[in-house]
Amino acid sequence: MSLLKEFSKGIYTQNPVFKQALGLCPLLAVSSTVSNGIGMGIAATFVLVCSNSIISLLRKVVPKKIRIPVYIVIIATFVTITDLTMAGFAPDLYARLGIFVPLIVVNCMILGRAEAFSGKNKLLPSIVDGLGMGLGFTLALFIISAIREILGNGTFFGIPLFGASYEPVLVMILPAGAFMTIGFLLGLFNWLENRKQNKKSAV
Amino acid sequence: MKEIIRYGFILMMVAVVAATGLSAVYNVAKPRIDEQKRLQFEAALATALPGSETGIMEPVQRGDTVLYYRCYVDSLKTELLGYAFRTGYYGYSSEVESIVGIDSSGTILGLKILSQAETPGLGTKIQEIRYGEKDPYFLRQFIGQPAATVSLDKDGGKITAITGATISSRAVTRSILQGYEQMQENLQAER
Amino acid sequence: MELRVLLIIAVSAIFLNNFVFSRVLGICPYIGVSGQMDSAIGMGMAVTFVLTLASIVAWLVYTFFLAPTTANLFYHLFALEKPPDLTFLNTIVFILVIATLVQFVEMVIQKTSPSLYKSLGIYLPLITTNCAVLGVALLNVAAGYRFIESIVHGFTAGIGFTIALVLMAGIREKLELKDIPQSMRGTPIAFIMAGLIALAFLGFSGLKLM
Repeated sequence: MSLLKEFSKGIYTQNPVFKQALGLCPLLAVSSTVSNGIGMGIAATFVLVCSNSIISLLRKVVPKKIRIPVYIVIIATFVTITDLTMAGFAPDLYARLGIFVPLIVVNCMILGRAEAFSGKNKLLPSIVDGLGMGLGFTLALFIISAIREILGNGTFFGIPLFGASYEPVLVMILPAGAFMTIGFLLGLFNWLENRKQNKKSAV
Repeated sequence: MKEIIRYGFILMMVAVVAATGLSAVYNVAKPRIDEQKRLQFEAALATALPGSETGIMEPVQRGDTVLYYRCYVDSLKTELLGYAFRTGYYGYSSEVESIVGIDSSGTILGLKILSQAETPGLGTKIQEIRYGEKDPYFLRQFIGQPAATVSLDKDGGKITAITGATISSRAVTRSILQGYEQMQENLQAER
Repeated sequence: MELRVLLIIAVSAIFLNNFVFSRVLGICPYIGVSGQMDSAIGMGMAVTFVLTLASIVAWLVYTFFLAPTTANLFYHLFALEKPPDLTFLNTIVFILVIATLVQFVEMVIQKTSPSLYKSLGIYLPLITTNCAVLGVALLNVAAGYRFIESIVHGFTAGIGFTIALVLMAGIREKLELKDIPQSMRGTPIAFIMAGLIALAFLGFSGLKLM
């Protein structure tokens, strides 16, 4: 099943955040609570799936030389649709994510997928690829925001975990904590990768 | 040359289609967005002036700017519920803006922070709601205090400042003092 | 008074709301090119230039085509009843204008000054998808800055970005020689360092500017 493979590669083997280091700005900026992180993940996934499918449909019509501007217009259109929808239906989340909703346009993960995948592949694989990558991105946001919220605020989805005596590690919900969390996570993934390779070479 | 024109044409078509699609979405979403904004402000007003949902709210304007809101208990407009005004004061890293409700004697009925960008985890506690509670514990202290003299315990008043965020806490008390003073001037000017 | 406002914008864009450490914008190029001092300075200059330019152009486009004010040219051109509110097109128009502009600037520099092109040119294409550039345009609009204020904000945000890059490049050049666990080398340790510098920059946020 190649479709399943297209889907699952985004989650671990080619995870946009941990393996390709793409889309870091929104990742660092909005991951201070789990609900923000998941909201951003869903918004980015929506844009990615929509832009992937349109770009895939247009792949034979768009001349190679002007593909980037065309991609940008398509992505920006879906970002604006997301922006307007969020402002209308989820105003609280919209206020918390701030300018990072319009900034999905310049999320290199989305343009990256257009360039690397949907510009060359058929509709169905492109949609599946978008879903997989989006899910991988959401998962990364979930992991980072969970670590930051639990340590920095002592809560998970706003529900207190440790009782009143817990003194939260404030730095974790500041930008500084975001940098360090992602730094350690990238290190962890490198370590896992290295260990796997060492085992292979030992065999 | 011919190629450039062709490319320009294709780009143009894409942009036109995108803009048309967007304006269609915008026209659908716009009323909904305006409605949300109105609801949010109304909710803030209701927090500042409990009971105003069923009363009559009148904006008092000078030119296009709303100076404050006057609220009556019912449509007869005989019994005054109170006033609400917007105010702000610079805290630690941002302007702390709020809407404050008072009765005719100047006692605070309620208040709601509209916007702030204080240090996360410290200054932002001025509007933190503890789990399972309905209103921010810091702001709750203000209800029933006289708006003309409200101040922190460190400054000789009755409001307990948030530990580690005195400046943000003080921004709230100062903004109320300032807004109340402005409010009195406005009332005086009307007489 | 005017000068005071501009000074506040400048200090806050460089230190308090540093694009990298406080607003968390432009992280990809930040981590990408902060490895060496030379490329850090080149990238910093290119970003400062583009941020300033983007602020100018975005302000012009916003004021004369998008904003619902009487300055809107469509209002006069088509004799509309009231100024049209096209602000929902902000994102798409800004990104297109910025992308075109960067491409154009790249061409001009290539033709006129090969030496400048050599030092700046290679960074320019990278900048189009730098969220700091679109970010500065959107922030200017959100803050309601006027023309001069927008320019100052764009320029000083670029300076702040350059300072962040240079600080980091200095540290990373030293880190090359240090004994760091294998899996933490490169990007991971760079993020940890960025976190520590961000913590130091937090000290600026108590500055009394008002």
